[in-house]
Amino acid sequence: MTPLPLLVGQFDDLLRSPLCWGMMLGAASLWLLFSGRSHALRVMGKVLGGISLMMLAATLMMVGDWSSQIVFCFVAAVTVVGAGAAVTARSPVYTAIWFAVSLLGTAGLFLFQGAQFLGVATVVVYAGAIVVTFLFVLMLAQPEGHAPYDRISWATFAVPAALVGAAAVMAIVLTSLDSLRAVDETTPTPAIAGSSQHMAELGSHLFAYHLVAIEVVGTLLMVALVGAIAIVLQGRKSAAESTGGAAPLPGGRVVPGGGGLPGGTR
Amino acid sequence: MNESAMLYNYLLIGGVLFALGLIGFMVRRNMIVMFLCVEMMLQGISVSLVAWSRFHDDWGGQMLVLFIIAVAAAEAGIALALILMLFHQSGTLDMAFWQDLREEDQQAFVDHKVPEDDDRDRIWPTLTPAGIEPEVDPDEQLHRSKI
Repeated sequence: MTPLPLLVGQFDDLLRSPLCWGMMLGAASLWLLFSGRSHALRVMGKVLGGISLMMLAATLMMVGDWSSQIVFCFVAAVTVVGAGAAVTARSPVYTAIWFAVSLLGTAGLFLFQGAQFLGVATVVVYAGAIVVTFLFVLMLAQPEGHAPYDRISWATFAVPAALVGAAAVMAIVLTSLDSLRAVDETTPTPAIAGSSQHMAELGSHLFAYHLVAIEVVGTLLMVALVGAIAIVLQGRKSAAESTGGAAPLPGGRVVPGGGGLPGGTR
Repeated sequence: MNESAMLYNYLLIGGVLFALGLIGFMVRRNMIVMFLCVEMMLQGISVSLVAWSRFHDDWGGQMLVLFIIAVAAAEAGIALALILMLFHQSGTLDMAFWQDLREEDQQAFVDHKVPEDDDRDRIWPTLTPAGIEPEVDPDEQLHRSKI
């Protein structure tokens, strides 16, 4: 049995599935959004992205009755649209905001699955702390205008290479998911999702089986905090030494050759 | 609810999130944006883990996501400190600035054509004015009555 006929047969199936076309349209849309020179091309990329999203939504399986399916589709759409917009937005401030939207969608997905604590933790930790910190740094670093490096990518091969890599990831995911599509039956909600004592059970499981890990993670957070402060302080000191005792100009490029820079050593 | 349908949908969404993060990490050059893309890949993994956790009716997946969130928070703190330091040294968030760290036989990367910044892209987020406009006392503008 040669694998070739099998492969051709799968390829034939692939060409007929809306999933494959949705993925291809999504890739084309990302390409246009990344490297579209004009405004019209970018708008076209957005339209293509919308179409591909609808095709992807058409391939989703029914999770239950229609109302829960609609809720799921809405939350999933918020997640994926937020992620796509975060990746393609030219201004990093918008990237951070769209990423926060995507995180809210993810929290909704967690809640939909009955993982209440994780949903709330995602909102509090990510959307509440990380994204706000990022916005703070972004405002600090770029008060106005788009930097050239936000408008251009690496050399021309960057976008195709990234799309091919992502296509490989998605192909692996989808081929391994095929067997799940065959199962079509209503199953009882697992105890982990349907429990009315979610927090109590999660907490008892966490502290019964993962006590050491919890302590280690707490220590890790502490060390990371100290480390972050140490990095900033050390960096200030070495920057002050390399510029001859004077503090570096805020936002100004240190002259190459001043030492302490990788560019200055060559 | 159909549990395998649930798993299928969630793994699909997780895969899409991971792929988008991967694309962003390879295409974008802003250091902060690249880091956000890595966080997005972590989100894709978290979505998949929670789906598996529910499918197998086991707490393991949710526990792992909990630890992922904690480690991601630590990682974000360190990464922000590093990015801030690199920014202080170079004055730019461009990853290509640090290309001197490349291998010796690699060619230097040069920007050929930077696309123009479109006016329509140059819209910044603003807050809408809300509430009643405060009354301004002209005397208060000249001196501070209470310190």
